[in-house]
Amino acid sequence: MKPFDPQVLRTVPEARRPFVALGAVGVAQGAATIATAFALTGVVVAIARSAPITTPLAWLVGLFVARAVLAAAAEYAAAHAGATVTTAVRARLLGAWASEGEGAGAGVAGGASAEGVGGIPTDPAARLTLATSGCASVEPYAARYLPALVAAAVVPAVAVATLALVDWPSALVVVLTLPLLPLFAALIGRTTQDDTQRRWRALADLGGHFLDVVRGLPTLVNYGRAERQLASIGEVTERHRRATMRTLRTAFLSSAALELLATISVAIVAVLCGVRLARGTMPLDTAMVAILLAPEAYWPIRRVGQEFHSAADGAEALAAIQAELDAPTRQSRGTQESRGTQGAPAATVDLTDVTYTYPGADAPVLAGLSLHAGPGLTVVTGESGAGKTTLLELVCGIRRPESGVVRAPACHLVTQRPFLPTGSLRRLMTLGNTAGTQAIWEALRDVGLDGVVAALPDGLETVVGDDGFGLSAGQRARVGLARALLAPESVILLDEPTAHLDDESAAIAHAAIRELASRKAVVAVTHRAELVEVADRHTHLARTRRGAVAS
Amino acid sequence: MTRPAFRYWERLRTHDAALADLAERRIDTYAALIPLTPARLGRRGRADLLTGVVDDLDDIVGAQIRVTVPGLSALVAWGLATAVTAGFDWRVGAWIAGLGVVVTGLAALAERLESAGLAELTHARADVGRIAGLLTGQASEIAAINAGPDLQAELAAAQRVWVATTLRQARGRALAAGTILVSVAATTVGVALSLGGAARHTAPVAALLVLTPVAVADALTPLAEAARALARARGSAVRLRGVLDQTPAVASVTGTEDMAASEGEARHTDIAVRAVSARWTPERPLALAPLDLDLPAGTHLAVVGPNGAGKSTLLAVLARHLDPESGTVTIDDTPISGMPLASARARVAVVDDSPHVFGSSLRENLKLAAGGVASDAEITAALGRAGLGGWLDRLPDGLDTRLGAGGRGMSGGEQARLGLARALLSERPVVLLDEPVAHLDSVTAREVLDDLLAASSDRTLVMVSHREDGRDGFARTLHLTPPA
Repeated sequence: MKPFDPQVLRTVPEARRPFVALGAVGVAQGAATIATAFALTGVVVAIARSAPITTPLAWLVGLFVARAVLAAAAEYAAAHAGATVTTAVRARLLGAWASEGEGAGAGVAGGASAEGVGGIPTDPAARLTLATSGCASVEPYAARYLPALVAAAVVPAVAVATLALVDWPSALVVVLTLPLLPLFAALIGRTTQDDTQRRWRALADLGGHFLDVVRGLPTLVNYGRAERQLASIGEVTERHRRATMRTLRTAFLSSAALELLATISVAIVAVLCGVRLARGTMPLDTAMVAILLAPEAYWPIRRVGQEFHSAADGAEALAAIQAELDAPTRQSRGTQESRGTQGAPAATVDLTDVTYTYPGADAPVLAGLSLHAGPGLTVVTGESGAGKTTLLELVCGIRRPESGVVRAPACHLVTQRPFLPTGSLRRLMTLGNTAGTQAIWEALRDVGLDGVVAALPDGLETVVGDDGFGLSAGQRARVGLARALLAPESVILLDEPTAHLDDESAAIAHAAIRELASRKAVVAVTHRAELVEVADRHTHLARTRRGAVAS
Repeated sequence: MTRPAFRYWERLRTHDAALADLAERRIDTYAALIPLTPARLGRRGRADLLTGVVDDLDDIVGAQIRVTVPGLSALVAWGLATAVTAGFDWRVGAWIAGLGVVVTGLAALAERLESAGLAELTHARADVGRIAGLLTGQASEIAAINAGPDLQAELAAAQRVWVATTLRQARGRALAAGTILVSVAATTVGVALSLGGAARHTAPVAALLVLTPVAVADALTPLAEAARALARARGSAVRLRGVLDQTPAVASVTGTEDMAASEGEARHTDIAVRAVSARWTPERPLALAPLDLDLPAGTHLAVVGPNGAGKSTLLAVLARHLDPESGTVTIDDTPISGMPLASARARVAVVDDSPHVFGSSLRENLKLAAGGVASDAEITAALGRAGLGGWLDRLPDGLDTRLGAGGRGMSGGEQARLGLARALLSERPVVLLDEPVAHLDSVTAREVLDDLLAASSDRTLVMVSHREDGRDGFARTLHLTPPA
């Protein structure tokens, strides 16, 4: 881990202001602490000389109040900086993934390898980990380590400069011993580095074992292997303890060494002051200020050392996030594509000589396919496995063709399993559109669901989805279709929209699709003869040895 | 100069003790989790719940280091400082004692404020995680309906709530940090004023006494941080108890896993379900309406129906993960409620939509399904029958390939097939499939199911599925409707 990578501030511009604020508060805290040394000396000297103490006490109280305000500000600013950076990084990361096409998510990557281009995992679980705990681990880095770094860069210098004005011999001692701290840290780090790196992997393995067997518990219980894990948990945790203690011993020893070094240095200052005090060549107040100031030069540097370890995870996560953000749009499969307004008039889909092969498959699923679909209803039929779903995904831009050109504006694709996350019906219906209550009810009526929804206890506000009130497969499909009626896109793609419906419901849905086709370009993959009959165009995908072709 | 040495010794001892304690607590927790698995772990978000258990346990054990030790050392430092200063001047001693009381009070306040926001913070974090999960796990479905901006906005809203909650907690911390310094200043003033004028003490003693509050504050300040760690550990303990204090969903655990392991293999198994109804907990509504079902050996049955119809409940009863509320399930005319739990379960392999991939070799990942003993040939055959033959051939290290955390990643389709390969290798006569292909695209899903059916001509298969496609190979279909 590099001590400081300014890249963070470039990646997350939102971090700049809180970071500057945090640094400023840290420096002010240092200055106030240095000033406190003088005030405290003033009080002590006043008491020792039986002089009036009101003025020094007032100074002391004032400075402590200032420090209290600064401490509160630092605490708040740290939380603010941490939260800002964490949320900004997460939003950026998820935004970057959302804007990329193929390789994203489980839905289409089922048969694909879990490795993306350049070995960056496109596995959704790995991505989720990076977006949640990975981003969270950036917090200690931003909120604690970076401000500590700023304080370490400024406060010792100010302390030494002040000390030089008060008592130059003490300043000289500090200047001579201070560089020993980083030097020692580097030396200790160098000698233990190989050892530590060798252990890290082992330590991560051992530490991850318990999580692994706990998460795998359902599988282990299933195959009657859970009870025998008890012995191995004990054994592995014990090995983990021994390995961790070896690593910790090194870490604690080095921090103890640094603390000892700082203590000795302060002691030297104190002894020098003491000797001069005894000889009467130094006034009490100067000696006290020197002794109180000296430690201020050392602790900011030691604090960096302490925070360094807790920030290591965050630095690693930041590097991974950076790599994800820098990754070029993963469009390396020799593709041509035109998306958006240019090239294709609205509400028209043109595929020219498109070939597509699943990642890892030997033969293409679509070969040299051409298709034109304008306003009206275009149906696509074909035997299973002919690539009908793939065709829609290509038009929609979720998959990129291997060769050939896909021209299409932004599309709305209703998949066989419409995306219905847990939420109110209203929210599910307005994903991707901004329809009002009346429009939602109209769309529900068009697909014949208005009665069902009106009968629900909370109507549109009823929570449905994964964990909520149950919807049958047919109802799910109709919600997906109703949502498509509300979609602002000019091209609507439907994948088996009425496969799950009984004939009566299907007839209602087909009428709705027909109506939709009067205002937009609709491409529907279907097995239903009734829908084929009312279509304006019909394309049949035949499976050939080389892949499906249109006829 | 003894301070660094003492600190080194203290840190080493406390970490060592905490880690030793961790080993014990982990074994206890794991043993407590086994009878709760899987019925009491929830159907969705099970992996997250289990990860939470591990994190909470770490938090609780870590409290020794972060709470007990700083608390004790603050107490000792405070006591000594009070005694020594009181020895010189009782008034100063009283001030120092007062400082300790005030700081302890502030620490208690910090604990209260931290606890108050904790539930909200956990909730906000879960919300962010849920939306992030949708954005990563369902990326293509979201892209298909152009709902990305909507979900991004929802994420932003959830993150704003999280930031607001975090900052509210930070205000409590800021208050504690500030007031501690103010009380140190007040104590210093008090000490200085109680010394002033009278000249009861020599100059060095007076200087020493007036500096004491600042020195004691160094030892007392960690109390605030300790209080916050205590609040977090308490929250973790409550969550952990919430998981572990549940009643297992199955009664009478007799017989060990090892005894039963060989019993189930490749035995002809007829299952009969008679008037079986079930609910997950006594408080919750009926999850499965009374059902009669015959599953002679070799039946291939698809179970369909809307959410809440009891599809997964039926599988749980068949797998003996959940005891029926009424009715009986018999295996070869023996009621399973009378069989040792392990033997009843040894007949049945369950494949769900997210089989766990262990962080070890491919070989070990499969062997566990066969009681830990399987030859490479058997493993390779099972992988082949699950449609992973080509994948295995492409692995440079073959069966020695390391999978899971830190190993080779697997796609959703490969994971689903790994779950099937385990079930096939186990040679168990009954395989229950709970939406095994839920996360797969339709082409892959169909291939996986075709491979399974081809490999299971004499095996009983019961598959729960939301999807219509891929069920063609199943000879029978059971339509379940939600209990009235």
